Amino acid sequence: MAASPKPASFFESSEAGAADRELQRKLENASTRHLDHFAHVKAEYSDYEEERSQSRRIKEHAIAHLDELIVELTGKLKARGCAVFAAATVEEARDYIVNVARNTGSRRVVKGKSMTTEEIGLNPALENAGMEVLETDLGEYIVQLRQEPPSHIITPAIHLSKEDIGALFHEKFGIPYTSEPERLTAEARARLREGFLSADLGVTGVNFAIAETGTLVVIENEGNGRMSSTMPEVFIAVMGIEKVIPRLADVSHFLEVLARTATGQKLTTYTNFIGGPRREGEVDGPREMHVVILDNGRSTMLADPVMREALYCIRCGACLNVCPVYRHIGGHAYRSPYPGPIGSIVSPNLVGSAAGHLPFASTLCGACKDICPVKIDIPRILLHLRWKESARRDLPKWPAPAARARAGARQFARLARHPSAIRLLGKLGAIALKPFARDGWIKRMPPPFSNWTGIRDFPRPRPRRRKIGADED
Amino acid sequence: MADLQAIVARVKNALVSSGPAPSHKAPVAPSLQPDGHRAELVSRFAREVEAVGARIIGPVAPEQLADRVAAIVRERGLKSIAVGEGVVVDLSRVGKTLSESGIEVIRTGSVDGSTRPELRKQLAQVDAGLAEADYAIASTGTLAVLSDETRPSALTLLPPASLVVVRVDRMKADLASALAALGHAALESHRLTLITGPSRTADIEKRIVMGVHGPKSLDVIVVWPRDD
Repeated sequence: MAASPKPASFFESSEAGAADRELQRKLENASTRHLDHFAHVKAEYSDYEEERSQSRRIKEHAIAHLDELIVELTGKLKARGCAVFAAATVEEARDYIVNVARNTGSRRVVKGKSMTTEEIGLNPALENAGMEVLETDLGEYIVQLRQEPPSHIITPAIHLSKEDIGALFHEKFGIPYTSEPERLTAEARARLREGFLSADLGVTGVNFAIAETGTLVVIENEGNGRMSSTMPEVFIAVMGIEKVIPRLADVSHFLEVLARTATGQKLTTYTNFIGGPRREGEVDGPREMHVVILDNGRSTMLADPVMREALYCIRCGACLNVCPVYRHIGGHAYRSPYPGPIGSIVSPNLVGSAAGHLPFASTLCGACKDICPVKIDIPRILLHLRWKESARRDLPKWPAPAARARAGARQFARLARHPSAIRLLGKLGAIALKPFARDGWIKRMPPPFSNWTGIRDFPRPRPRRRKIGADED
Repeated sequence: MADLQAIVARVKNALVSSGPAPSHKAPVAPSLQPDGHRAELVSRFAREVEAVGARIIGPVAPEQLADRVAAIVRERGLKSIAVGEGVVVDLSRVGKTLSESGIEVIRTGSVDGSTRPELRKQLAQVDAGLAEADYAIASTGTLAVLSDETRPSALTLLPPASLVVVRVDRMKADLASALAALGHAALESHRLTLITGPSRTADIEKRIVMGVHGPKSLDVIVVWPRDD
């Protein structure tokens, strides 16, 4: 089971993240590099906005017809010789997979990268059943060695520097220390190759499931998804119900936008169209294939007209990279398999009410909405969830604070009609704050303002040299 | 299956209770680019292939193919190569030429329970794989490769060096056109892999490293018949 997040632990972990300057440096580097790549491919691709609108439209259509599409997909998959299991909860999904592993006598499991298996807490369940579980995406492998969860849905080890990873490999494998990404990758390749060739069971996630042809699409750069889905005798794909798209012709729109926003590539290195177990005479492909289709709170999201939009997400991870909060506290602070803006939306539904505080961990700046390849209005959903959460918990009930806020806004509006009054108040404020300033910064103030200055420093107000509305120089 | 019916029923109820979707318009099929001028397509393809860290060879006339492949094998210092069945290009002649020049050649073909483990082991140990792509995609530098019993997907995955042949008339302008050309039937019965460059990762500090689980090098050989 994924660790149940508690509000207190979120505050602790986000403070720890915020205090970790080194972490911010790494996140800043990685995010900046990612956004540069993205800007570059977007600039040379004239149809990006058009493809984005198309992708959005397909998702709207797919989610609106989700019941029919699930039936169609399941029928096609079975016709191709796959076993299909629909799981209502994480427990059902876990038990099914553990049973398949047991019944096929599997001992060694290789996993391609999959956030959905993180969501259902698959690894510990398989390990408790006596299996050896190997994460094979390089980033996932690294965090598995460190016995910690991934901190980003695309780049699991984004919180680590090459020196961190060099030290880790030196300690775990006893190889001479190196921080060269090439050498570290070669070391991991050799070890994981061994794992692929001897594995009994492969597990991956799914990016898109095409109802019309019964094809599962898995997108990746390294080859871990290809390996996990073709080398072992038994293969299990795990997908949320929202991954279904209607037709083969729809997939090209998504492939065009997903690689661009996720990694700044035109297409990822490998796009796998997986279609059932191996056929007579084939050397690769699994002997048997299972598909687990997971609900776990998704149909609840679907029932809410505001929330349903969150099911359009194609898990590109771009909203994490642009989010000022994510970049400041890092992915682990969210204590959910899905961190960042999209995580704050889906976690309360997928991880449960224990993640109810996450929608409050946002500045609502809207950068996520701007970059989202399927134009999900994340800030709107965050507000909606805040409202729901406040109604659910014994937070100050709405009418009173809302009325107070409205009255305050009215007062301010009256005042704001008199620029001279505003200026006077500003001057008085500046004078009042002056005694607290040290070296141009205000870092400490007596109660009740100490709550504010305990977590923030702000610059000393300076007398304004230009009138409001005067030309900028 | 009762579980499936239960979930479908839940989804149906959820759809009813959340009211009409913002738009029920059926998605539009992608507009297919005309293939355009062949030379233009090939040069676009070549640019994109090089951009993703693979190498472009050719155009090569069919009768020169075997010698060109042999040259690449020598240049890369490869001792053994697995050769798959061609799609529209005859790869068996290439295999023969390579054998004659002292390279160990493994021909892939249909297997049964007893021969499968052996071929798998060979594919895991061989230096290089030679395969033909069903289609190539000019706008992204991508190879679309179907797999079947004579053309295992391992050919383009397990060996550290990958050589892929594609004939010029199999060049498509974009992804949507390539998928349309492959058609539903192919996708309903085969696995398909779209390959864009050598295997790579950026998991360590977002720095790109080639050759993770798949090939470290990819040579794409464009075959262009003289009378075409």
